[in-house]
Amino acid sequence: MRAAAARYAGARVARVEDPRLLTGHGTFVDDVVRPGMLHACFVRSPLARARILGIDATEALAAEGVHAVFTAADLNPDVVEAWYTLIGRDVPDTPRPPLAEGEVRFVGDPVALVVADDRYLAEDAAELVIVDYEPLTPVPDYATAREAADLVHGAYPRNVAGDMAGPPLEQLAPAFEAAAVVVHETIHQQGYAQVPMETRGLVVEWSAPTGELTLWAATQSPHEVRLFCSRLLGLPEHRVRVLMRDTGGGFGQKVVPQREDMCVMLAARKVRGPLKWIEDRRENLMSAGQARHEHADARIALAADGTILAAAVDHVQDVGAYPTPWPVGTAAAVGMFFPGPYRVPQATWSTASVFSNTAGRNAYRGPWQMESLAREVLLDAGARRLGIDPAELRRRNLLRRDELPYFNPNGMPYSDITPLETFEQALKMLDYEAFRSEQEQARAQGRHIGVGTCTYVEPTTAAMALHATEGATIRIEPSGKVNVYVSGGSSGNSIETTVVQLAADALGVDIADVSTIQGDTAVTPFGGGAAGSRSGSMTAGAVGETAAVLRERIAAIAAHKLEAAPEDIELADGHARVRGVPESGVPLSEIAALAYFQPEQLPPGVPAGLEASGRYRPENPIIWANATHLCTCEVDVTTGEVRLLRYIVSEDCGPMINPNVVEGQIAGGVVQGIGGALLEHLAYDEDGNPVATTFMDYLLPTAADVPDIEYGHIETPAPGPGGYKGVGEGGAIGAPPAVVNAVADALAPFGVEITRLPLTPERITGLIRNASAPHGPRTTARVDDPNGPNGPNGPNGPDGPNGPDGTSSASATGGAISADVATSAGGESGADGVSGVDDASAAGSAGSAGGAVGR
Amino acid sequence: MKPAPFAYHAPAGAAEAAALLADLGEDAKAIAGGQSLVPMLALRLAVPEHLVDLRRVDELRGIEERDGTVRIGAGTTQAAIGRSATVARGVPLLARATPLIGHFQIRNRGTLGGSLAHADAAAEYPAVALALDARIETLSPRGTGTIDAAAFFTGLWTTALEPDELLTGVAFPVWTGRRGFAVEEFARRGGDFALAGAAVAVELDGDDRVRRCAIGLFGLGSTPLRARAAEAAATGEVAADIDADDVGSAATASLESVPSDLHASAGHRTRVGAAVVARAWRRAIREAADA
Repeated sequence: MRAAAARYAGARVARVEDPRLLTGHGTFVDDVVRPGMLHACFVRSPLARARILGIDATEALAAEGVHAVFTAADLNPDVVEAWYTLIGRDVPDTPRPPLAEGEVRFVGDPVALVVADDRYLAEDAAELVIVDYEPLTPVPDYATAREAADLVHGAYPRNVAGDMAGPPLEQLAPAFEAAAVVVHETIHQQGYAQVPMETRGLVVEWSAPTGELTLWAATQSPHEVRLFCSRLLGLPEHRVRVLMRDTGGGFGQKVVPQREDMCVMLAARKVRGPLKWIEDRRENLMSAGQARHEHADARIALAADGTILAAAVDHVQDVGAYPTPWPVGTAAAVGMFFPGPYRVPQATWSTASVFSNTAGRNAYRGPWQMESLAREVLLDAGARRLGIDPAELRRRNLLRRDELPYFNPNGMPYSDITPLETFEQALKMLDYEAFRSEQEQARAQGRHIGVGTCTYVEPTTAAMALHATEGATIRIEPSGKVNVYVSGGSSGNSIETTVVQLAADALGVDIADVSTIQGDTAVTPFGGGAAGSRSGSMTAGAVGETAAVLRERIAAIAAHKLEAAPEDIELADGHARVRGVPESGVPLSEIAALAYFQPEQLPPGVPAGLEASGRYRPENPIIWANATHLCTCEVDVTTGEVRLLRYIVSEDCGPMINPNVVEGQIAGGVVQGIGGALLEHLAYDEDGNPVATTFMDYLLPTAADVPDIEYGHIETPAPGPGGYKGVGEGGAIGAPPAVVNAVADALAPFGVEITRLPLTPERITGLIRNASAPHGPRTTARVDDPNGPNGPNGPNGPDGPNGPDGTSSASATGGAISADVATSAGGESGADGVSGVDDASAAGSAGSAGGAVGR
Repeated sequence: MKPAPFAYHAPAGAAEAAALLADLGEDAKAIAGGQSLVPMLALRLAVPEHLVDLRRVDELRGIEERDGTVRIGAGTTQAAIGRSATVARGVPLLARATPLIGHFQIRNRGTLGGSLAHADAAAEYPAVALALDARIETLSPRGTGTIDAAAFFTGLWTTALEPDELLTGVAFPVWTGRRGFAVEEFARRGGDFALAGAAVAVELDGDDRVRRCAIGLFGLGSTPLRARAAEAAATGEVAADIDADDVGSAATASLESVPSDLHASAGHRTRVGAAVVARAWRRAIREAADA
C-alpha cells in the first residue's frame, strides 16, 4: 500500500496562514483577553551599572488601580529551577536572576514589576517607584572588558563568561610562513537585534483551586516554555498548559523564556487575576537582547595561485550582562565553521565570550554568522592582493561534489552539499562577466559599482536534546476530515502550510480536508518548536511516521471491504482503491465511519478508530545546507550612499516542500542581513546608555531599501525525510558578507578594505578619504615555489598527502580538535537551536564520524 | 509607551481653539496630525496636561491662490498639498518637498501647520517656508497676526509663536518668470529625516543672469537656515559661470551647531550638505534656463 504521487510537496501552495494574517485576524499574545486580567509594567534601570540601595514603592502602591509592586526580594526566592531544556541542566550557565538583585547591570535591567488594572496605570505607577541607586563605573565595551578594572559579575574574573579553543595557532605556523599572501584582518561587527514585529509578551493565569497554570506566550517553542515554567515554579509539568497561535517573529529572541517572562510567571501566583505583560518597542530594543556584537581576528594563508593553505580565527563576542541562553557553546561554531565550504587543509580557532554592562546576548538567526563574514571578506581581500578575480579564487577552493563527504579541518563532516554549483548558478544568474565589463565602463564614467558574494555551508536540523525528536498525532475524523497535531511554535515559518501539504500527500486527500492544530501543549505531542532550521525536516519526519501507520490501517480496512490484498490498495483523491481498478474506490469517510462506528466489521487485528501518533528520530545529527549570495551595488562616493542593484541567492535546501515558503524564509533573512550590513546598530554611548531605542534611530531596511531578491535552487537530497534540509537561518548568514564585499569591490579603485560594520554613509566616505593607493599584489608577498611545502603540489597543498583528500588526515584533525577543546562545558545546544555545533558534542561527533570514514 | 494622563479638548472653531490655548497656557499643547507629538506623548517626552485637538477645525484647511501668493490653511495635510495643482503651479518648491516627508501614511495625517509649529530643523517644510520668505499667520484672543518665516524659527524645536497663539495658515509668495526649483536631501533611508537637505529657488533674467535666488538648508543646524552669503554671491552672475560645487561650499562654509549623532557627525553632514546644495542648484538652474 502506498500513497499516490505527491500532489502538494514541491508545489507553490498558497499559505494556509495567509487569509487570517493578511486580513489582520491573526491571534497574537496581546489578542488574548481574560476575565479580570491585570497588566504588568517593569521599572527598569536608567543606569548601566549601579548598586541598588533601596526601593520605595509606597507612592506607587497608593496610585489608582495598582495591585502590587514586586521587587527581587518578592519574586527571586520563589525560583525552584531555572534552566533550559535546549541547553541542559549541567552547563556552567551564566547568572539570570528574574529581577535585579543588589546591582543593576545594564540600562533596561528590570528592577521592579508593577501590576495594575491596565498598562497605562501600570506605567503611571512605575514612574512613582523610587529606586535609590549608587552609580558604579560601568563596563560598556566588551572589547576592552577583559582588561577593565571593574567586573560585570563578581564571580567572573576578567569579565570572561567562557572561552574555548582548538589547537594552538603555532601548529599552523609553517603554513602561514610559507604562504604567498597571508590575509590578516580584524573584522568588527556591530550589535544588532532580532526585532520581531511582535515584541515579547505573555499572559499567565493561575488557578489555585485546581493547581493549574495556563500560559499564553509569544514563543518559538511552547513545550520549552511549559517545561521551563514547571521547573521555575516547581509545578508538575502536566499542570502547566502553554498556548500560542501566531507569534510575530522570533529569530532566536523567543527560543527560551527570558528574565521578564520568569518575573511574570512568578508574579502570576501572587495577584488576583490573570497577568499580562506585553513588551513595548522601547523595552524590546533596550532589554530583549542583542546579537552579532563581536570581532574576529582572522587570517587566511594563500598560495600564489589563490589556493587556501590554512585558516585561523580568534573570535571575541559581547554577551552583555545577562546572555540568554548560555552563549559560550554557540561561539565555538564560529571557529568550527570558519573554513566554510572550501578546501582548507589546516585550521584552528579560539573564542571568548565577554560580559559587558549592556543588554544580554541572545540567539539570532545563524548565531555563528561571523564565520562567514570574516572568511568571505578576507577571501576578497586576498584576491585583490593576489590580483586574482575573487570569483576565480573561490572556484579554485570551493568543495566539489566528488570530494564529499568531506571533513573540514575542525572535523565538521560535510555531506550532500553543492557549494560550487550554487556559486556558479549565482554567477550565471548575474552574468558575472557582463557585470565586470559594465563595471569597467562605469568606472570610466566615474561611477562606482561592485559585486560581492558569500558562499557558506550551515548546519540545520541538529538533532539533540530538546531537538532530538519530533512527534505528530494525526486524527482522521469520522467524516474523513484530517487534523494533524504537532508541537508548533510557528513564528512566521509557515509550518501550518507545511504540515497540511505533507499530510495531504501522505494520506492522499485534498489539502482542503486537512487542518493542523499547533501550539497548545495540552493537545499536541511534545516537540522542540521552531529553531535551528529544523521545522521542515523534523515535521516531515513526524508526519511521515504517523501517516504510515494510518495508511497501513486504511489499506487493511479497504482491502477487507474490497476483497483485495492490502498491498494493492492505493490512496488518492480521498479514496482507497485497488490499484488499476479506478471504479473500486472507497471514500475515506466510509472507512472512517467503519473504523469508529462499526468496529465489528473491521478485519481481525486492526484497531478501531483512525487516530495515530508517531515520533521521528533522525539518524543524522546534522543536515547540511548551503547557498551562495550575490549582491551588486552602486556607491555614491560623495554622500556614502549604498544602493543595492541586484540581489541573487542560489541555495540548496534539498527538494523544496513549498518554493514560496523557501523563498519567503530566504527573503526575510536576506533583508535582516542587509539591515545588519548597512543600517541596523544597537549602539551604546561610552557610559553604556543605549542610543537606538526607537525606530527613529534603530534603522530597519524598508521595502525601498531592498532590491527584488532573485532565487536559484539546486535541490540535492539530504539523508532524512523527503531529502529536505533546513532553510530558516541561511538568508541572514549570507547577506552581510555579500553586501560588504560588493561595497568593497565598488571601492577597490580607492584601495579601500572594509573591516568594520555597519557601512554607514559616513564610514564609507571616511574610508575613501583615508584610503591609501590601490592594492596591487603586495611587494612583501612571497610567491611560493609550487613544489615547496605549501605550494599546491607540496605535502600540505590540496593534493599533497596531508591535504583534504586524505581522509586519515581529516579524521585525525577532528580527533585533535576534540582533544584540544579547552572547556569543561557539557552538552549545549546552539543558541538558535543548532545543537550540533556545541564544542563537546560537535567535536566528539566529528571525531567519531571522522573515525568512521577512516575505517 | 503609553502617554501620561491628559485632558482632551476638541474645539470646533479656530477662535475656540485659540481661546482654549490662551486659557490653559503653558500646560496645553495643540495637536494636528500628531505625527511628531503622539510618539513624544507615548515616550512621555511630552507630558502636557491638556491636548487641544484641531481635527474638527475645518476652517484651518484649504489652499487658495490670490494676490501673488498661495495661502494654505495650517490644518491642510501634506498629502493634500502634494495633490494640489495650485501648489504645483504656484509653489513648486513646496510641492517637490512634499514626497520627501516621511511616508504616505505620515503625509495623510501630517499637516503644514504641524510641520512648521513643530519646527524640526531637519524637516522639509520649515526650510521651504524660510527659503520662500513665507508669512506665517496666527490667531489669538488678542487678534490675528503674521510672522515672517525669517523670524519664526527661533531655536531647536522652538518658534516665535506665543503660548496663546494658534498657527492658522501660511502664505507663500508665487515666483514668476524664468524660475527653477529643486529640493535635494540625503537620508539614511527614504522617508527618514534628512542628514542634510537643500531647497533651492532661482529666477534668471533674459541674459541668463541670476535675478534672485534662495537656498534653504535643513538638517544642518538647530533651525532651518538660509545660505544668504551663497545667495548674494550668486545673484547677478551669469548662471553658466557659477560652479554649483562652489555654491555648495559657500552655503555650508560657516555653519554653526551642525547636529552630530549616531547617524552622522557634524563633519559628514556638512560635506553632504555641500553636495546636496550643489545638486539642487544644478537642477534649479537647469529648470530655469529651460523655462
